[in-house]
Amino acid sequence: MRKSREAVRSSRAAALALVGALALSACTVGTQNVDTTSAEGEVRGTITFQTWSLRAAYRGYFEKLIDKFEKKYPGTHVKWVDQPAEGYADKISADAAGGTLPDVVNVSPDLAAPLAKAHLALDLDSAAPQYRDEYLPAAWKSTKIPGMKGTYAFPWYLNTGPLFYNKRLFDKAGLDPDDPPRTYDELFDAALTMAERSGGKIATLANVPTIEDFGRYGVRVMNSSGTAFTFDEPKGVELLKRYRKLYRAGALDSQAFTSTPEQAGRKFMQQSVAMNPGSALDLDKFKKDAPSLYEHIGITDAPNNTGHPNMYVQGLMVNAAGDNKATSVAFAHFVTNAENQMAFAHETTVFPSTKGALDGDFFTEQDGTDKTRVRVASAKSLEKAVNYTPVLLSDDMKTVLQNAVTRALRGDESPEKALRRAAEECNRLLQLG
Amino acid sequence: MGAATAHPAPRTGPDTEQAGREGARRSGSPGPRRLRGPAGEDGRRPPGWQTALRYLLLLVVFAVMVGPFLWQLSTSLKGPGEDIYSYPPKLLPSDATLDNYAGVAEIIPVWDYALNSLAVAVGSVATNLVGASLAGYALARLRFRGRGVAVVVFVMAMLVPLESIIIAQFTMARALHLNNTLLGVLLPGAVGAMNVLLMRNAFSHLPFEVEEAALVDGANVWQRFVRIALPSVKGTLAVVAIFAFMAAWDDFLWPLIVLSDPANFTLTVGLNYLHGTFADDQRLVAAGTIIAVLPLIVMFACLQRYFFRGVGEGAVKG
Repeated sequence: MRKSREAVRSSRAAALALVGALALSACTVGTQNVDTTSAEGEVRGTITFQTWSLRAAYRGYFEKLIDKFEKKYPGTHVKWVDQPAEGYADKISADAAGGTLPDVVNVSPDLAAPLAKAHLALDLDSAAPQYRDEYLPAAWKSTKIPGMKGTYAFPWYLNTGPLFYNKRLFDKAGLDPDDPPRTYDELFDAALTMAERSGGKIATLANVPTIEDFGRYGVRVMNSSGTAFTFDEPKGVELLKRYRKLYRAGALDSQAFTSTPEQAGRKFMQQSVAMNPGSALDLDKFKKDAPSLYEHIGITDAPNNTGHPNMYVQGLMVNAAGDNKATSVAFAHFVTNAENQMAFAHETTVFPSTKGALDGDFFTEQDGTDKTRVRVASAKSLEKAVNYTPVLLSDDMKTVLQNAVTRALRGDESPEKALRRAAEECNRLLQLG
Repeated sequence: MGAATAHPAPRTGPDTEQAGREGARRSGSPGPRRLRGPAGEDGRRPPGWQTALRYLLLLVVFAVMVGPFLWQLSTSLKGPGEDIYSYPPKLLPSDATLDNYAGVAEIIPVWDYALNSLAVAVGSVATNLVGASLAGYALARLRFRGRGVAVVVFVMAMLVPLESIIIAQFTMARALHLNNTLLGVLLPGAVGAMNVLLMRNAFSHLPFEVEEAALVDGANVWQRFVRIALPSVKGTLAVVAIFAFMAAWDDFLWPLIVLSDPANFTLTVGLNYLHGTFADDQRLVAAGTIIAVLPLIVMFACLQRYFFRGVGEGAVKG
């Protein structure tokens, strides 16, 4: 039931792709005269602030935050709406087309790109350059879009995390539970051993490679001018060949093709998969939902061939077509300033994108717990981390890539051909957008 | 019911059927032969292993259909610290609790959302019953130019995926100032093409002679529709009601897009909050799922007698 529904959703997403592109390009015409470069005016009046699935767990934090802002700037009123996790990209593109986009919107870089192209995102390099130096340079640049000048969202929280592994399963397969794999070679070898010793019953990985995996493996996913995808280069083919070997040996979970990260996490908690990426927050989840796993949990860094771990960036975009841009900019900056980001980092396991924040005690001092160990290690890895997901890679392109990977791993198509076709298709979509 | 059976009057159709069934039950119960098991078409009972195999198959299908639901139910009742992902799954919670249901209500205003959903679903049932039966009757019984084309248009309408028109639909709702209102959620599904075709089929399978008789007695179209045709298709009306309710209750994408203020959210959209960005508590999700499914089960339980009769009305008689 659930699976079929998801299949329907992904086809829905594909259908929406085209429409969304059309609608956005249609609205480009209508919003060409929007001023995306300045946000002058008085900080007062009402604005709407939209977050992405944060209300359930952090309502208290945001209510306090808004309260503080309204006290700091008397005469302002912030209306907070939170959107559910699912269908967020659809929701935003419909709002963009209908002219109902909120004033400050929580976006990831790839969601910001189409809005910037539609002249709906305020260019902060022109409208609010004074704030640039408060943020980590890599984070500020995360919404730079190839072919466009400017930065289109305030960097907000960052995320990264280790690989968790199941020591009991490692032990059972004769692998040293205290010496987890650290490089791709070690990872793939361990996975093959695990599959062989368990008679193909225990898989080590539960997700097919995504664009981040390509990036971490050292594949150049896009050319430097941002005009074409290049993940079909030999290095990408090599990665798929190695994954195909894993799949054939049973070292990659047989349902990996359709698994969401959430479902992969569930398999890990069922202890039918030996490794899974996660964040410090997952430790609490293991303790609560899978206590028998928690006793045997091991933690290691996610491997990479580039010297740069992956990070995820969330940002706050200011709607350039809003009628109260000065207040919106003030608010977006307020939410993302050092103090408030730090407070948010204490609420959950995210990392601030402001300069110097990661050098504080909270992110450098150990206190003996696993949770802190993971947090400190993640914060350290952020120093060198990059966001491997190109801003121009839309949801539909991700689906194209995923389908190609599936075909290649199942042996329906050679990895070379599958990736070449996917790159061509993504380039075509890129031209359309 | 045989395909060729022409009821003397459609009104009595369901009644005779019921009487017949009751008669069979009455005459069947005292006879020991009847009790022993299903008889084959030719009157002989199939061998025991075949019956066993049938029941085994039925049990397997039952487990496949009901298993995931039971897992959700048991997960929603499990306390913190219990292994919910153990394999094989443990269905009986060792530390049963109703806290998860209270937890759902704490995180989201679940009753407000349920009320919104109920308003949309009940409204949708009403508009679909009225609209689909009127349109279905017109397509089945009234003669007008372009009737065939109209039927084709309804069939085509079913083929258009919602996703391909959803943004246009949204800009239209916005132009009508219906965005962010429950009326905006209801309107696109107010009269489903599928339901119109269901009603059309039900009406066109009523024997025409009865209406002719009414016509001779001086009944006009409206009277024939209300007094003769409608009472004979109660079963299909129940089917339409359940379909409309389910469609409105389960819809996710359109309410998500048309509603912006969380206060107006329907249950399916609101429950999605439980899949938080960093906090995905499977127990709460399970409790939310049970809350969402319960009304559907209740509704089906209430209408199932009509439901199966209705499925027969449209399909079997021909």
